[in-house]
Amino acid sequence: MSETLSGRRILVVEDESLVAMLLETILEDMGCTPVGPASTVDEGLALLNGESIDGALLDVNVAGRQIFPVAQALKERGVPFVFSTGYGEGGLPDEWRGQPTIQKPFTEAAVRDALMKALGVATV
Amino acid sequence: MKVLAKSGGLSVDLASAFDASPNPYVLITPDLHIAGVNQAYLDVTNSDRDAIIGQPLFAAFDSGPGEEAPENVRQVRASLEKARDTRQRDHLALVKYSISHRDADGREVFEDRYWSATHTPMLDDQGEVVFLLQHTTDITELQHLRERGSPRQSASALDSMLGGAVLGRAAQVQEDNRRLETERRRLVEMFMQAPGFVAVLDGPDHVFQMHNPAYAQLIGHRDLTGKPIRDALPELAGQGYYEFLDTVFVTGEPHEGRGSLVQLQRTPGAPLENVFLNFIYQPIRDADGQVAGIFVQGHDVTETVVSAERQKLMIDELNHRVKNTLATVQSIAMQTARSHADPGTFAAGFQARLMALSHTHDLLTRSHWEGADLRAILEHETEAHGPHRISLNGPPVALEPAAALSFGMIFHELATNAAKYGALSAPDGRILVDWGVADQSSPVLHLTWREIGGPPATPPTRRGFGSRLIERNIRHDLAGEVKLEYAETGLCAELSVPLGAERAS
Repeated sequence: MSETLSGRRILVVEDESLVAMLLETILEDMGCTPVGPASTVDEGLALLNGESIDGALLDVNVAGRQIFPVAQALKERGVPFVFSTGYGEGGLPDEWRGQPTIQKPFTEAAVRDALMKALGVATV
Repeated sequence: MKVLAKSGGLSVDLASAFDASPNPYVLITPDLHIAGVNQAYLDVTNSDRDAIIGQPLFAAFDSGPGEEAPENVRQVRASLEKARDTRQRDHLALVKYSISHRDADGREVFEDRYWSATHTPMLDDQGEVVFLLQHTTDITELQHLRERGSPRQSASALDSMLGGAVLGRAAQVQEDNRRLETERRRLVEMFMQAPGFVAVLDGPDHVFQMHNPAYAQLIGHRDLTGKPIRDALPELAGQGYYEFLDTVFVTGEPHEGRGSLVQLQRTPGAPLENVFLNFIYQPIRDADGQVAGIFVQGHDVTETVVSAERQKLMIDELNHRVKNTLATVQSIAMQTARSHADPGTFAAGFQARLMALSHTHDLLTRSHWEGADLRAILEHETEAHGPHRISLNGPPVALEPAAALSFGMIFHELATNAAKYGALSAPDGRILVDWGVADQSSPVLHLTWREIGGPPATPPTRRGFGSRLIERNIRHDLAGEVKLEYAETGLCAELSVPLGAERAS
């Protein structure tokens, strides 16, 4: 199933390097190419403008700021993305509810399923 | 009268008419001094005009030494003050007031007298009180007759014959008034001393009629009495409270607020202050059941609301940290597993990394998560290898919690690597750690980890988890730089990290 994700370029925004390393490892195992990781909102926006991106994994709280400017920019470009968060279900504001979300700590399966759901490749 | 009195010589005639009246009159200034009396008044009070004119009324007449005298004085004074302050005529239907006279031997004796009095304010063109006119009637004889008439001896007949029923009613009304006045005063006193804030707003414009000290404190001791709320507390515009009051006044339904945010201008010119209040607007109805005003009552719950908010923030933050820490541990486990084929060495490596993370947590807990000192972290991560083999040299550097956790992991990896492959793997090997902080305005920490006396360092053939973790932590979490030099004399790591600008949350 994960072949469908193979070759996709996935932006990672995550401020904790160990968690970012984990996501990169998981993405590489699925055949994706990690972009970044960005550790701040500004860095995330800069990568978004400089790289071609097929999808994104966004930590909701990066370095004390909320990720929503990056989420908004991705939405405007039609790039699918997944939120990752340590907060509960209620951690997202209303306008972002329903977006594929993974809870920390996450399993490889959770990351894969959420990405496939976001990229709309689950049933291919 | 006033107009007539101004027309020429008539004023003289009015003055003599005043003096000639069989009814006792006394003219009193607003500060309750005797300004003028007529002859009937002098007669009934056994007084001398020169002795009492200009005197304070209650110095000239103090109702004598009797037990009831202070209460009698109080009643007359209260009636006068009420007439003066409200600019309305006030009646005292029945009041006991003792009057002195000289007996046959020239001694001063007091005689109990009963009076009925009317106090009329006399206003000038501007409506200010110039004098109070006391019209008083000595009803002692009536009262005595009434008291002598025993209830069993056809009291009602005697009463009605002597006008006793009227007197009785008058006494009753006066007694009721006094009781009501006492109750009113007690209520007002309760309002005034209430720990919560209390205000009474009058009419459709919500004019402040009274408010207690707690209310005064709430709104910053501004002058409110007699002002509509929109003038008295203009900063409430747009906050919805005027509208709530309007609705209560129109519908007669009370309005309750819980933890409501109110922005108040407590100090002139200062920014608005946020206050959270529990309060109720209760309609006050008049005798016809119409809403006449609104009773405002409540208390300040700002501290409770703020601390509840703080607690929610802390719980969210705790949850965030716990989940991030679990994800970090998950990452350590996964990455460690990839570099250890043997489950036994995996467990040892994983546990050592977990302990490094835990040690830094201990340090942070000791400072209530305010931060940790660089040297303390270095000592923690290297002490297992023998303190004499590691030389730490640098000033105290306070690290924020996130930076402290990163440095804990970094030093753990460096020390573990030194013990396996570097200076600490040889009997005489040592490590010199030197650091300093440059540029105090935007300080940057420079730290050198230099291994000597061990085998030559060789670049790893495969990028292991340790070196990746070091580089990523420095660049990603700490926004710093790292240079790893695999020298003939041993590994040398040079780190430079901006302080107070680390990125990790």
